[in-house]
Amino acid sequence: MTRADKVLIAAVLLCALLGLLTIYRHFFISSDQPFPKQATITVDGKVLRTIDLDPVAGNEMIQITGRLGPATVEVAGGRIRMREANCPEQICVKQGWIQAPGSTIVCLPGEIIIHIEGPAPVDAVTR
Amino acid sequence: MTRRGQILLIIGLGLLVVGVTVFLSERRIKEYRSEQFLMDTLVSIKVYGDDAATLPAAVAAAYGEMHRIAALVDRFPAAGTEDCRRSDVCRINEMAGIGPVRVDADTLAMLLLAKKYHDLSDGAFDVTIGPVMDLWDFAGDHPKVPASQSIVDTLPLVDIESLVVNAVESSVYLRKVGMKLDLGALAKGYATEKALQALVRQGIKKALIDAGGNIRVLGSNARNAPWRIGIKDPRKADALVAIVALEDAAAVTSGDYYRYFEAGGKRYHHILDPRSGYPASENMSMTVLCPDAGLADLLSTAFFVMKVEEALPLAERLGVNLVMVNAEGRIFHTSGLAAHLEVLPGGAYRYDPR
Amino acid sequence: MFSTRRLVYLALLLAMATALHVLEGLFPIPLPFPGVKLGLANIVTLLVLYLYDLRAAMTVAIARVLLGSLLGGTFFAPAFFLGLTGAVISTLVMALLVKKTSCFSPLGISLSGAVSHNLGQLLMASFLLQNQAIFFYLPILLLGAIPTGLMTGYLLQGLLERLEEAGILAELNRN
Repeated sequence: MTRADKVLIAAVLLCALLGLLTIYRHFFISSDQPFPKQATITVDGKVLRTIDLDPVAGNEMIQITGRLGPATVEVAGGRIRMREANCPEQICVKQGWIQAPGSTIVCLPGEIIIHIEGPAPVDAVTR
Repeated sequence: MTRRGQILLIIGLGLLVVGVTVFLSERRIKEYRSEQFLMDTLVSIKVYGDDAATLPAAVAAAYGEMHRIAALVDRFPAAGTEDCRRSDVCRINEMAGIGPVRVDADTLAMLLLAKKYHDLSDGAFDVTIGPVMDLWDFAGDHPKVPASQSIVDTLPLVDIESLVVNAVESSVYLRKVGMKLDLGALAKGYATEKALQALVRQGIKKALIDAGGNIRVLGSNARNAPWRIGIKDPRKADALVAIVALEDAAAVTSGDYYRYFEAGGKRYHHILDPRSGYPASENMSMTVLCPDAGLADLLSTAFFVMKVEEALPLAERLGVNLVMVNAEGRIFHTSGLAAHLEVLPGGAYRYDPR
Repeated sequence: MFSTRRLVYLALLLAMATALHVLEGLFPIPLPFPGVKLGLANIVTLLVLYLYDLRAAMTVAIARVLLGSLLGGTFFAPAFFLGLTGAVISTLVMALLVKKTSCFSPLGISLSGAVSHNLGQLLMASFLLQNQAIFFYLPILLLGAIPTGLMTGYLLQGLLERLEEAGILAELNRN
């Protein structure tokens, strides 16, 4: 290992730690950081759920019930996928992760739609 | 640097990375979310806490409470079945005109609440609406406009004065044969409140329960800001009329758009004025905000059948907040809400902030 | 310059790189943050840089990402574009350091490769998502790049020495 190597390691380490301090304050303590994007899960034409797809947010399993029975949607690292679904061809499960706004996973037999859209302004809607 | 030193350095840095990331993810507040179809709607419970392992049990306890209340107030199991024996409302209805029935403390609490607010609202709210609800058949597959004579004939059975609630003996009695309780206007909210209390007992400090649009929040949201709750546009799907900032409170809306049918070009929805037996036509949407979800549910129904000039003063007097869209498409709200409410521009409604 | 020997060696190295790429995809690091990877396939890219030139290394890097994503089923998925951008940028940076400087050992080169790989990935991700907030993720990736980059560099260093001892390096250099 050369002297230049050590300088490089120290520099990267410093950048990383300084950056962590900044985002720690930004993401892990304070509030009102707008959501980058959101996904909606629709079953049988009704929006069941709107999920924040924050790239630094935690993993999450969402249990839903489609027309053909239970399904599990997984959210992790700003992405969303159909983890398990009770449908014959498993097309939605095989599609894997989606993360870009506008992307959609559709489970036709289960009548489940997962759609990623732009920023949404509310936590819940009273109706 | 020696070989050994290099390996140690790499391993050390690796452990540092693992340590930092695990620390960061531990510090992050954990969310657990679960949904169930319950009380004819989708109930979603979202809880936050530091210890992810405790969250599912808390949510399970909350659902347990909701299932318990749902079973108590179910009014449609067939007479004589096990479901009917478990349902206080079903047994009370079966025994109408025959004799009192011993009931659960929660059934008692709901009925006392119902009687109290029947009186405070001058009869705009009545849980003995069951016989008229059945005429319209909103719970069935083919709701229809009943013959006007049948409504006139049935209205005498809508009479909360003939609902005898004995708090000492925990018994309830409907005096007239044919009377029927229908707790649909407050049971969902009451169950939501019970679910929230279960969460609190489990040590939860941040939660949002969404029982088919009946919202109850605990604490502030995950970003330590007030929860932002949208109020649905009564005519446009997926649109909002306003956003309200909510902490430790409930927001429940009654609308004419939720369950309705059309006949002869007219819209008939499921919120009946107990005094006339017909759908109330004063408002499109009535949202009540107060700390108790059961009360918010009840009052949203009561205020819905009232004119704005009755509803607003009563809300102020009762110390609750409301946001409403009346039948003319005008938005009103209680004065205490001004700082927490954002009426969205671009809607088809008229709003004159005062 | 066309050489059959060179072609065969590069093909073998590409196969190794692809195998490492796929192998690594099968065993994600169990950290609570996604995206932190060992970058084993980078060993091969760097080895090609040491043995041959930028053109050969770039060919192997790009072909490896193509083949790896075909095998992993992520062809033309976002992950594919992220990996491709990362591979191209890190190969460029490492080539610059290997060919134009002499003060870095394989450890330092590999570390800069890992860092530039992450930078490239995030650039592409922010472009794909149209979202700059994703750069908040950079510090975690940078921190992760230090041990993983050093480790792959360490492995490469050992590999180069073994090749030297076995006389393979000299043999390769004759071409």
